[in-house]
Amino acid sequence: MLKVTDLHVYYGGIHAIKGISLSVKEGQIVSLIGANGAGKSTCLNTICNLVNNSKGKISFLDRDITSAPPHKIVKLGVAQVPEGRKVFPQMTVAENLDMGAYVRKDKSGVRHDMGKVYKLFPRLLERKNQLAGTLSGGEQQMLAIGRGLMAKPRILLLDEPSMGLAPLLVREIFSIIREINSLGTTILLVEQNANMALSIANYAYVLETGRIVLEGEAKVLAADEKVKAAYLGG
Amino acid sequence: MQPVFGFALFAVFVALIVVLARNKKRFPANPISSFFFGFIIVLLAIGAANYFMVAISANRLYFWQQTIYGVSLGSVYALIALGYTMVYGIVRLINFAHGEIYMIGAYAGFFGVTSLGFPFYFALIFAMLTAALAGVIVERIAYKPLRKAPRLAVLITAIGMSLLLQNVGQKIFGSIPRSFPRQFTGLYRIGEINLDQSRVIVFAVTFLLMVALQYFVTFTKPGKAMRAVSQDRDAAQMVGVNVDRTISLTFFVGSLLAGAAGILVAIVFPQIRPTMGLMPGLKAFVAAVIGGIGIIPGAVLGGLIIGVSENLVTAYISSSWRDAIAFGLLILILLVKPSGILGRNTREKV
Amino acid sequence: MNKHPNKIYASPILIFLGFAALIYINLQVSLDRVNFYVIGVLSVVAINIILTVSLNLINGITGQLSIGHAGFMAIGAYTTALFSIHLGTPIYFNLLVSGIAAGFVGFLIGLPTLRLRGDYLAIATLGFGEIIRVILQNLRFTGGAAGLGGIDWVDNFYLTQFMAIVVVIVVWRIGASAPGRAMVAIREDETAAETVGINTTKFKVMAFALGSFGAGIAGSLFAHRMTYIAPDGFTFMKSIEVLVMLVLGGLGSITGAIFSATLLTVLPEFLRFIDEWRMIIYPALLVTVMIFRSQGLFGTMELDFARVKSILKKVAPENLGPEKGKSNPPMQKIKALGFDSQEQKPILETKDLSISFGGLKAVKNLDMQITQGSLHGLIGPNGAGKTTVFNMLTGVHLPSSGEILFNGQRIDGNSPYSVAQAGIARTFQNIRLFKDLTVLDNVKVAFHLHADYGLGTAVARPPKFGAAERRITSEAKELLEIFKLGDHCMTIARNLPYGAQRRLEIVRALAVSPKLLLLDEPAAGMNVLETEKLMELIHWVRDEFDLTIFLIEHDMSLVMKLCQTISVLDYGMKIFEGTPEQVRKDPRVIEAYLGEEVS
Repeated sequence: MLKVTDLHVYYGGIHAIKGISLSVKEGQIVSLIGANGAGKSTCLNTICNLVNNSKGKISFLDRDITSAPPHKIVKLGVAQVPEGRKVFPQMTVAENLDMGAYVRKDKSGVRHDMGKVYKLFPRLLERKNQLAGTLSGGEQQMLAIGRGLMAKPRILLLDEPSMGLAPLLVREIFSIIREINSLGTTILLVEQNANMALSIANYAYVLETGRIVLEGEAKVLAADEKVKAAYLGG
Repeated sequence: MQPVFGFALFAVFVALIVVLARNKKRFPANPISSFFFGFIIVLLAIGAANYFMVAISANRLYFWQQTIYGVSLGSVYALIALGYTMVYGIVRLINFAHGEIYMIGAYAGFFGVTSLGFPFYFALIFAMLTAALAGVIVERIAYKPLRKAPRLAVLITAIGMSLLLQNVGQKIFGSIPRSFPRQFTGLYRIGEINLDQSRVIVFAVTFLLMVALQYFVTFTKPGKAMRAVSQDRDAAQMVGVNVDRTISLTFFVGSLLAGAAGILVAIVFPQIRPTMGLMPGLKAFVAAVIGGIGIIPGAVLGGLIIGVSENLVTAYISSSWRDAIAFGLLILILLVKPSGILGRNTREKV
Repeated sequence: MNKHPNKIYASPILIFLGFAALIYINLQVSLDRVNFYVIGVLSVVAINIILTVSLNLINGITGQLSIGHAGFMAIGAYTTALFSIHLGTPIYFNLLVSGIAAGFVGFLIGLPTLRLRGDYLAIATLGFGEIIRVILQNLRFTGGAAGLGGIDWVDNFYLTQFMAIVVVIVVWRIGASAPGRAMVAIREDETAAETVGINTTKFKVMAFALGSFGAGIAGSLFAHRMTYIAPDGFTFMKSIEVLVMLVLGGLGSITGAIFSATLLTVLPEFLRFIDEWRMIIYPALLVTVMIFRSQGLFGTMELDFARVKSILKKVAPENLGPEKGKSNPPMQKIKALGFDSQEQKPILETKDLSISFGGLKAVKNLDMQITQGSLHGLIGPNGAGKTTVFNMLTGVHLPSSGEILFNGQRIDGNSPYSVAQAGIARTFQNIRLFKDLTVLDNVKVAFHLHADYGLGTAVARPPKFGAAERRITSEAKELLEIFKLGDHCMTIARNLPYGAQRRLEIVRALAVSPKLLLLDEPAAGMNVLETEKLMELIHWVRDEFDLTIFLIEHDMSLVMKLCQTISVLDYGMKIFEGTPEQVRKDPRVIEAYLGEEVS
């Protein structure tokens, strides 16, 4: 459903992404792993057209979205949960979720989905009226994911959801990601925690200095000696 | 002699605050110096309070009268400051041309009342819409092409726009001041305090507009988008906010308020001229900074503080010191709490 | 090699043309061929050049946005007026006193204000400028709003010209000296400047005071020319006028400043025939220039012949040769600190170190010791607080509680520059080079501690200056050579390939001659081969420069092979410390970071 063909990105004078091609099939969890600075986040940002200086083709549901403005891309059903959460710090939890549904017009549907998000993250319901900036890191991550879901996306792009979270929380977040996927949302997951990412993904790409160096079924990759050595701490 | 004494006191006070602010890091570690400075500050505060109490107790009524005038002047500053603060919050730009938008509002109101023969409230709306249109045009022409340019370039452009509008104003409206026809001449009395009808109306309209703004920003969708963009532009894009349109909208709303300020000020001080925007514009900006730039209640608070203190300085010291108080307060605030009274401290990410 | 944006040097042809014009004008004046009006305009041109070039020192070179320059000009003008009226002192004396008065006020104002950054600083300078004016308006001895008249009229056409040339030369020379490089570094990246040991406050205040000094001189000349001054000649609009001249020419460019000060003074005179439109055309022009060329006419460049050629030829920005390998660096010794490396004493120690941001504890009760001469690694998941630890060690963040000891001395609470001077240098996770400076200048900035001369030497340029500069340049080149960056000396840092930028950052850190080097994710964004080379490099640097190295890294293979001791940070707490082998096996580490074995 999402297809990236021969993508190049130039970023602050640096050729950050050097010809990436990848595709995500409906209903899958696809994971993009690699070290810091390998270009994972740049890749996601380019899909959402937040980064301009790019060459190549990106299509979603057979529509060319390479140069569509970011807000149109969201309307088509691509929601991103950014690296570092990026919740709106001066808004309450409920307002943040409401912002997530910004492109939607069906009020009852929004209310229904808000209920679903609260069911998924009971902690957010408890803190409904708290300012997002005062939440803990884990709660902010939940809120960011919840906000992404509120757009009722066909595909959810997750950027480093485990960043800065305690191991227990990471596990919780990942089980929720799996749950979201089982409820019918396709997921493209960018992760540094390769172990976790490979454990829930169907398919994975390994990114190194702007190039895809390896791709395959997540299970196969997890067993790969090279991957183990470089990313799984051998 | 008294005014000089008061100001000398103020100057010493500022100097001490400066010293304190600079030593903040190690200050508490040294009990002797903290005691010493604390002692001097208390002494100075008592001295300053004493000075003002003497002045006030001589004529208590006069004090309250001036304070009330200050509130109505301050509410006009607040209206202008809101535009500054909203624009700054969303694009981090000190929109120097904002004072000229306010001038345009005053002239639009003037022509609305005189040439077009509108009733006042109709002219008010006319002034607001004209100013808003001007604001959006300025944004589209001058600022939008510079969205990724260095901040200084945009700042200079804003200054250029300010000058341009001022001079185009001179060309179109002539440099001779015009007299805004008197609108409200009534006088209310509460106890022994006089309230001109015009000042009451200024205050009432300002208050209504602020309530409307608060409602707009808190509950409507475009208002929420505005807040979202100012808090995190990337995240706002990610949830599907059209950032360019939201920025234009911010200029629209901010200019709407400046336009209202323009005509409101004209019913109290009926002289309008093309250069009228410069000083109020600067002071309103100062108000926004004092309250905490980017924060809507902060702009209102800052506007009121400046309005009241200006009026009190005029009343008790001299009108020629009036322009200094706003900037003096500004520097004091910047040195003690650069993010403003209601501002939050931000830290740079390294 | 035509790209020297921040290198301030004079092109012979330009100087020749400038002098030709000057001589021509002076000849005309001395032959009485020029009327009084034109002489007046020319004097104003010179005064505006002084104002603009002195503001360039603050805004352009040091990058501190000041929009209150007219206030300092006013101080100069009033000082001159008072001396001239009451004491009848000669103009040369008045010039000096006015400059000193304005410089002193600049110093006083700069000290507290320059803590502020960006817009806030601009607003504060605006405020001070206005307050100076209001005070002048209200004091009796300055004549109130009416101002002061009866200042000695001096035909100072030649003197004004001379002063303009002096100011240009002084600013030019400061720009091309160690203090000037420190100022430019502050403009480029204040945080990075501090971490190479630059006392940013000192240099900012210095630039501010000197710039104000220049404005004072301009004010003095102005007063003697006009014989009458009033506060409304020094309003906010005057400050803006000067700023506009500066920005139009291009911030940081002295030739640009001269050019646009001349243009903007003379142009309105020519536009007099369309007088009523003049004030519309002028700002419209300004806005247009900003929209289409927002870096100003000259950018930070200096106009010189070589540059004109390069524009004509349109040299491609990135014409770098292939990056050379960097294995087996030559065993060349630069600096031996000569300590006994057998001793196992800690060079750095933290005790119960904590910091919180907005209620969230980012680092909790960290106790850590780094042995002298060791290679120590710090690992942990993203967001665990590793970089925060670095920021505390280097004084960028003030710890909420706890102690940091460096060679047994407490350094917590010290500002970053003094930490750097004490001997801790660092690199940054997201590479913070002075991006618009050349590679060589990046290193020379960091050598600034080695420059044993001050501002006076920089301006007067005795032989000592040349010797010091040559030494700095050769040392910097030598260091670059070792790291295979010698060929890129004149390349702008931002145009370097990624790996070379990382190396340059390490070179810059080494130029501070540290005893402890902190590397924040040196291998980020490198592929396996590059990482391997980097490992060799780090090892070699440690041995060759007698350093202790403390590094944050995600690349496990690098950390495991390189480090003797590894501390693991998770959620702000140190959960484990030991040798790579121990770390690999520890269950807590596996759970937090390495992850459980995949089932």
